[in-house]
Amino acid sequence: MKILIIEDEQDIAQSIQSYFKDNGVKCETAHNYAQAVHKIDNYDYDCILLDLSLPDGNGFDILRELRSKDKTDGVIIISAKETLETRLEGFSLGADDYLTKPFHLAELLVRMQALVRRRNFRGSNSVVFQEIRIEVFTKTVLVNEQKIELTRKELNLLLFLIGNNDKVLSKAAIAEHLSGDMADMLDSHDFIYAHIKNLKKKLSKAGSGDYIKTVYGEGYKWEK
Amino acid sequence: MNTKKLLSKTTRDFLILAAVILTICAPIFYFVSQWLFIYETEEVLVQHKNAFINQSSRNFTPEDIKTWNRYNLHFTIMPDMGVKKDSIVGTMIEDSTAEEKEPFRIIYAPVEIAGRKYTYTEKIHLLEMERMVFTIAGMFTFILLVLFIGIVWLSKKTASKRWKPFYNTLDQIHEFEIDKSKPPHFIQSGIDEFERLNRSLEALIEKNTAIYKSQREFVENAAHELQTPLALFQNKIDTLFQMRLDKDQTRVLGALSRDVAKLNRLNKNLLLLSKIEHEIYLEKTCISVNEHIEKHLDFFTEQAGQKWVAINVQLSEKLEIEANPVLAEILINNLVLNAIRHNRTEGNIIIRTLDRELMVLNTGTAEPLPIEKLFGRFFSGGTSANGSGLGLAIIKKITEISGWKISYSYYNDFHCFSVKF
Repeated sequence: MKILIIEDEQDIAQSIQSYFKDNGVKCETAHNYAQAVHKIDNYDYDCILLDLSLPDGNGFDILRELRSKDKTDGVIIISAKETLETRLEGFSLGADDYLTKPFHLAELLVRMQALVRRRNFRGSNSVVFQEIRIEVFTKTVLVNEQKIELTRKELNLLLFLIGNNDKVLSKAAIAEHLSGDMADMLDSHDFIYAHIKNLKKKLSKAGSGDYIKTVYGEGYKWEK
Repeated sequence: MNTKKLLSKTTRDFLILAAVILTICAPIFYFVSQWLFIYETEEVLVQHKNAFINQSSRNFTPEDIKTWNRYNLHFTIMPDMGVKKDSIVGTMIEDSTAEEKEPFRIIYAPVEIAGRKYTYTEKIHLLEMERMVFTIAGMFTFILLVLFIGIVWLSKKTASKRWKPFYNTLDQIHEFEIDKSKPPHFIQSGIDEFERLNRSLEALIEKNTAIYKSQREFVENAAHELQTPLALFQNKIDTLFQMRLDKDQTRVLGALSRDVAKLNRLNKNLLLLSKIEHEIYLEKTCISVNEHIEKHLDFFTEQAGQKWVAINVQLSEKLEIEANPVLAEILINNLVLNAIRHNRTEGNIIIRTLDRELMVLNTGTAEPLPIEKLFGRFFSGGTSANGSGLGLAIIKKITEISGWKISYSYYNDFHCFSVKF
């Protein structure tokens, strides 16, 4: 998988690049408008991560550029701006998702994976890890082809963990992923413990391996 | 304090003054006019006497005196009564024409007729004076009434017209809110004092609005500028987590991760507050509060479960409000999460909807919260160190711009927040 990160803050681009690298994502970076347009013109990407404020231009212009060239790359806007108008304008110009800074790298990774999955969707939209198969479209989970019943949150959690395979996830990252819009109001992340415990129980009962490891009580890791 | 309107106050003062002056003046007036009348009567008596002495008495004989006395009822020449000089007295005499005693003024004067001493007397009936005093009193009452009515009319009609610009200004200041962008527009009055008042108020409002604006922009810009460094911070922590760390290092990083999450939350809430003040949430739709609560009950229960807090939901048949959906959602969620945050372990929460009211009751600290500080920014209830301290400020702001009313009470160990729609 190859993506383009358009971000003037080099440190952020760097972090994304190094985080994504281990999960089989090849990242290229562009730090300004000119570089970005040049790369878009010459290459195709599975996904573009787009910061709206660039030193020599506006992220929206890049969306227009893509559209005028009939490019169909998936776009996730990553911006510090958080207003309804910028969100709506982004979507109307063809962006697929919008993530406000600051964000967790794990969150960005699963959003990107989901976007790419949706776009490459050919008959089935599924995530497979060893004996576990998740049919995202129908929201069903199968362990060794046996269907197991998960709650919406547990399914969400499973996708998040598998998507961040081999990564240590802080409790904050998981909690914020699970609570979505409500994340800004949380003041404790301990509620995820119950969900992790239930998910673990259901998976092992269905005969799946124990892939969820705790990391000194501070985070969790999905690991083969 | 018992306050009265300026107009009724000035009118009342006028009336009191008028009444006092008139009650003091009435007896003075009465006595002065009585004295004047008596004085005039005495003048007449003295004049008559002088005329008699100068003209008639010279040719008078004792025979004439008898004839004189026979025909003059009020004007008699008596044998000497021992009067040495003129004296005038007032007495009550039984009058032949009236049944009762009437006031008279009598002069006694010594005269010499044909070498013998006599006493000259003349009496004048004071009935005229009584009549005059009554007429004056009548006039007085009439003037008094006209004056009273005049004062009331004047203050009601003309004064209220003159004070109209003042009341207009007063109403406009009352309506004015600094976070609403429309400054008041005062009407021209043509009265110097009012014009000065309006100009001063305009200057004051303009200055305050400018200060308020720059403050708000500062908060907004500061919060905005913090987003990027926060993002960097957050990403670095995520990256650090991936390194092979030992237990102690992970613990430190975990704490750091919680801190940055808190910082992040605080910043988001500050941004939200300044955005609410911007009034960008104007669109309104019909929202069912009950439905919203039911929809998020799972989330609330999940959050409450961390502290073993039980949530009891008592919903009315229906509660629908006209509101901005985003704000209504933030309001309800904040209220409930606040109730969880400041609750004690194994506490209780009651979410209740009434006809036009949403109530969230929770157990917590065993004493009422200080209501005057409660809705301020960065108020901390003391039970949780994790709150941003902005939750209630956001709730208050949302109720303000939506025209609702929030109130707090403490009853039966329950802290109760109630929003009246």
